[in-house]
Amino acid sequence: MEEAVKIGMIAISAALAIGLSAIATAMAQSRIGAAMAGAIAERPELVGSAIILVAIPETMVILGFVVAFIITGLKEG
Amino acid sequence: MIERMAKVEILGLKDVAIDAIDVIHDLGTLHIEDLSERVGQMENKRVTRMEMDPKFADHEATLNNLRSKVGDMIRELSPDVDELSQEDIRREYKALWSDNVETMIARMEKMLSEVERDTRDTVDRKADLMVELSRLEKYAPIMSKVQPLAERVARMQDMASIALIIERKYKAILNYLNEEISKLTDGECEIVASDVDEESTAALIVFNRRYLKQVHDFLAVQDVNQVRLPSDLAKKPIDEAVAEVRARIAQIPAELDEIDSKLSQVTEKYSVKLVASRNAIHDRLEAMDAVPNFAQTDQVFIISGWLPESEVPAMEGALTEKFGSKVVMTVTDIREEHDAEEAPVTLRNIPFVRYFEIIYMLNKYPRYGTVDPTVVFAIFFPIFFGLMVGDMGYGLIIMILGWIVHRKMADKPLANMAGFVMTVGGAFAIFFGALYLEFFGNALMKWLGLIEETASGAEEVKYLIGSSESIIRYPMDRLEGFTLFLGICLIIGFIHMGIGLVIGIVNGIREKNTKHALEKGGLLVCLTGFMLVLGKFGFEWWPSALIIVGALMFIGGIVMGGIGAGMGGVVESVVGVGNIFSYARLIAIGLASVIMANVANDLAGEQFKSGIVGVVIGVLVLVLLHALNIVIGMFSPSIHALRLHLVESFGKFFEPAKYRYEPFRKTGGEE
Repeated sequence: MEEAVKIGMIAISAALAIGLSAIATAMAQSRIGAAMAGAIAERPELVGSAIILVAIPETMVILGFVVAFIITGLKEG
Repeated sequence: MIERMAKVEILGLKDVAIDAIDVIHDLGTLHIEDLSERVGQMENKRVTRMEMDPKFADHEATLNNLRSKVGDMIRELSPDVDELSQEDIRREYKALWSDNVETMIARMEKMLSEVERDTRDTVDRKADLMVELSRLEKYAPIMSKVQPLAERVARMQDMASIALIIERKYKAILNYLNEEISKLTDGECEIVASDVDEESTAALIVFNRRYLKQVHDFLAVQDVNQVRLPSDLAKKPIDEAVAEVRARIAQIPAELDEIDSKLSQVTEKYSVKLVASRNAIHDRLEAMDAVPNFAQTDQVFIISGWLPESEVPAMEGALTEKFGSKVVMTVTDIREEHDAEEAPVTLRNIPFVRYFEIIYMLNKYPRYGTVDPTVVFAIFFPIFFGLMVGDMGYGLIIMILGWIVHRKMADKPLANMAGFVMTVGGAFAIFFGALYLEFFGNALMKWLGLIEETASGAEEVKYLIGSSESIIRYPMDRLEGFTLFLGICLIIGFIHMGIGLVIGIVNGIREKNTKHALEKGGLLVCLTGFMLVLGKFGFEWWPSALIIVGALMFIGGIVMGGIGAGMGGVVESVVGVGNIFSYARLIAIGLASVIMANVANDLAGEQFKSGIVGVVIGVLVLVLLHALNIVIGMFSPSIHALRLHLVESFGKFFEPAKYRYEPFRKTGGEE
């Protein structure tokens, strides 16, 4: 029973780590994406910068994923 | 590397100015500097902007007129420009070109009048036929719809009819027309409607002939389209008119084919001449447009610009040979003049690295005098890409696709470069795939029996070399060795960021900007100190002395940053160190990809157990999910590898150039 609770807590923690960071990334990307769409309409040469700028908030979900992966590894510890 | 540039000033007597511009244009190596701003700021009003001779202004207007005529003819004849021989175009260009503008204009006008003579009637006839065909094709379905009713109306002597065409979405207007025309005709009218196609509806209004004028007057003020047949058809009975329309529709394409065949002969005869004329006019006008960038006094003209140092002797030789002492070229020392920032930039890299200049399609060139980081990109981009994709199967497919794009799109620079970069990236993905022993996920490891299921149902890798505890092991499974890979990625990030910071220090020294060098050095010291501290988390045997050294370096780096760039330097040193964690994406993105590949294999594996239908579904699942993973695997790692360069590494030192080197050169018949 105690083991099951532990695994459950680990799973919830990992889900929170990736879920919350994914939501944060999505919010940031939606704003950057909308702003860059407007900027590209005015100056199409900005498309390269747009791709990079949209990719910047992905660091959050990537780190969230890394943390979630480390947390799931705890069940073996 | 950035090509070394020389700044030159060319002075000469005004009577040879136009000829000198032609020589410079022919050589095609000088990036012209616009002198108009400098001339405007001069107190000495003896130097003015160079103005074109009024006679040349007339020529400019004539050339513009010729350009639009040539453009129209090229559009009308639509030759396949890509298929034309560049050699033929160059030969024709030379035949048309003359240093004397008037001679050149006369040659072009003669050629254009020949083209006009041979095409005018044919082109006009073709346009007429196309208009007629389009009109008849519009009538035909409408007439077919109203024909049965119109024939009945025709038999009734006292009845008249009018055909209308209405947009389907406004079909409701027919009820209104019916009510109003009924009032006008005392109820002696009827409207019959039928849809012609998805957009239009044909309607026939039948009414007593004695109300013809009132109905016509009423419809004239309504916003409806009456179908008016061409005058020669309007007087004929509708069945005859319909037959005639159909016959014409069948006949016109043959006539058009005949005209097209005549036009294709004309196109073959003149397309090379027209394209060569277009290029020659472009070059001549460009030379004229350049004139206001130059300066002049009463006697002398002044041209200023940049060219690669290696091209200076050729320019000097050509000017001396043609004009002797009438034109003089001087090379100015850009270090003394502090003009380096204004220097246009062009790069000279070995062929392999040149393809990686694709990064400058997203970014400006590096500033003149700084270090060109294309080599860093050419080394690290494929490594990052390979680390993230890391699958022999995916790498092979990406490499083949990249090579096909590279070969097939030789004339499209962006696609050609991207294809090559993907080919190299694919090769590195195969290399890392071999290290991870991944071939379409864990398919190869399962086939080799290197994955075992434990009692709890979890999967465990059977290592060929070492164990899950050792650093050196084979295969280097990414899922089990996640922490080890995280450490490797951080070390790669340290090297990558470190190289960026070293380049930043070199740039600072080259520009004699000690503070800049100190700021970058501070961040590098901070980063090194941080890595020394971080080592303790990776290895239990890590000496405590190194942790103390690391902590001291970290503090020292902050101080250096502060001395170099004040408070900004302190913040940059601390925050900049955090960028190292961004390199965690190298393992995280790869992990997401391998998990997806394994899921595809597991799903398909389950399906394979349930008979032939299962096998078919399994194959579909495999193909679809792996294809999706490959597409994601091409885009996502590319974008993230780019980001790591542009933000984490280049962001530490990159200073963009103001201008790219764009020499004043003739198309030479290759516009």
